[in-house]
Amino acid sequence: MSNNRLVILHGNAHPKLSKEIASCLNTEVGNALVSKFANSETQVIINESVRDVDLYIVQPTCNPSVNDYLMELLVMVDGAKRASAHRITAVVPFFGYARQSKKDKSRAPITCKLVANMMEAAGIDRVITMDLHSSQIQGFFNIPVENVYTEPLFVKYIKKKKKTEFLNQEFVIVSPGVGGVKRAKAISDKLESELAIIHRANKEMSLSLSSSFSFDIEETVLVGDVTGKIAIIIDDIADTCKTLKLASKALIKKGAIKVYALVTHGVFSNNAIDIINDSSITELVITDSIPNEHNKEKCPKLKIISIASVLSETMRRCHHGESVTSISK
Amino acid sequence: MKTMESVRLISGSAHPQFAELLSKGMNIELSKCESKHFLNGETSVILGESVRSASVYIIQPTCSPNVNDNIMELLVLVDAVRRASSKHITAVIPFFGYGKQNKKEKSREPITGKLIANLIETSGVDRVISMDLEASQIQGFFNIPVDNLYAEPLIVKYIEKHYKHLGEKVVISPAVDGVKRAKLVSDKLNCDLAILDRQTKGDKEDMILVGDVSGKVAIIIGSIADTCETLALSAKILKSKGATNVFALVSHGELSGNAIETLNNSELEELVITNSIPQTEKSKQCPKLKIINVTPMFCEALKRIIHGESITAASSKFVIL
Repeated sequence: MSNNRLVILHGNAHPKLSKEIASCLNTEVGNALVSKFANSETQVIINESVRDVDLYIVQPTCNPSVNDYLMELLVMVDGAKRASAHRITAVVPFFGYARQSKKDKSRAPITCKLVANMMEAAGIDRVITMDLHSSQIQGFFNIPVENVYTEPLFVKYIKKKKKTEFLNQEFVIVSPGVGGVKRAKAISDKLESELAIIHRANKEMSLSLSSSFSFDIEETVLVGDVTGKIAIIIDDIADTCKTLKLASKALIKKGAIKVYALVTHGVFSNNAIDIINDSSITELVITDSIPNEHNKEKCPKLKIISIASVLSETMRRCHHGESVTSISK
Repeated sequence: MKTMESVRLISGSAHPQFAELLSKGMNIELSKCESKHFLNGETSVILGESVRSASVYIIQPTCSPNVNDNIMELLVLVDAVRRASSKHITAVIPFFGYGKQNKKEKSREPITGKLIANLIETSGVDRVISMDLEASQIQGFFNIPVDNLYAEPLIVKYIEKHYKHLGEKVVISPAVDGVKRAKLVSDKLNCDLAILDRQTKGDKEDMILVGDVSGKVAIIIGSIADTCETLALSAKILKSKGATNVFALVSHGELSGNAIETLNNSELEELVITNSIPQTEKSKQCPKLKIINVTPMFCEALKRIIHGESITAASSKFVIL
């Protein structure tokens, strides 16, 4: 049992989540001012003692101001470090720049690694994050990284749907890209259901197809069978949502009776909400790793699952030095 | 001796005009580089040509209106250049954002200037060139060489050239922090020095003048013009104490918030800043605003760095072009 008191602070990215986490832990969010000067510099003042505390700073680095939210996190960490906090954990439910994790062109940066270095340079002792875009990102850090999975939440959600809406209807788990097959398979295994994959045909394959094929067939290839079944797409990020729309259209065309999508992070940049509204998707389920209450009004298909209980349990176990792995069971 | 052929200039998007001027002065084309934001707000950069084995100079003031975006872009550019096998990376930061946040004023405050220094080193920068850092101690925040250029010689020459005909002058420091800088200027000009000391009486902020300005031209010397409220208040008090004219010469013009409106309404006759921060729009709105070009000084500094020569001698030789 640790003698250091647990304190939660947050920046401006997602105060609602912090309050929910604090509520789960039967405590309140600490007092800190995080704002901007007239010249757009970030300002942080921590208004209560954090001396020798086990500090958790909750801040997804998400849109619309990725760089501002990242800077808020770093400045808060610097302030807490200088105020003699015992240990500082960054709770980053959505890790911005995670998709910039490899050199896909010559002379490209690996910005995700740069961000990891920045976080360590600021003085973070540990990171708690959720469904990292690729697990290798943990290796970018020299400090412990807890990558919490939404898989149990999704499995639970689908089981509930199975009882209330799917009834006896057969369903199939679908990965909308080759990159996410592992994630989708983990869920299909848990649910003892079938797996299907949608991937984009490469140009060579496109060229070999005859012109009589439709646009969708040229663009997407389905591996597996969805005829007469409910298709459930599993993905980690919904950004522009063009892939989701294309996938759902292809699935319906291939005989799926309904398409659901379960996605961890709802980034929804540009006109993503319009694309979802126009798509064949019956329901799009996301977590609240990024604040999206404002999008629920625009998109009735959107459902939001809370991650506060999972994150708060992870934090509680970190605080008490217990195993984090068993949360998933 | 190093050849200029292995030198690359890369501009971030914060201040392309500065980079253009520097490029002309160095007679080196800017390397192709594209910086943009993804739809989700993330910064993305693409280098358009090889920098392998080159000494790369990345030009990016970390200034408003988007300090954090400009810092992030600088760091991402450095990361890209480093992974593209450059030999040496110098960050040319004419204005160092967060420079005012260089000490703990209250308990439980960050020292964000130090944090920024750490981030710049972490990204892989080998050297920093900056100008008129808010505090010289900021050089000590870095573990890498920092060349802090001074605008002071250019400011002195501007005063000698443009205010020569105006009669007896007195140099004003608008705060106790900046007296040292103001004294350097007053020594060069061989004139008196006065100080405006900020005081807080209850809710109201006031200033007390130490020294005499009656019948003299008051020349305020500062490092940063931000909201300009201090400058406006200073000018008002100096006029009420008998100054015939009030001018202000400041190294960096952030001009945030209502600064332009404040300036236009103030008793300040002229505000002279350098082009360390881009000012295209604001200079149109404010006829009082004058801009000194400091790129020749940076140009000279870069040439000396490339050839391994002393930087110190550069300042004393300088002439406004």
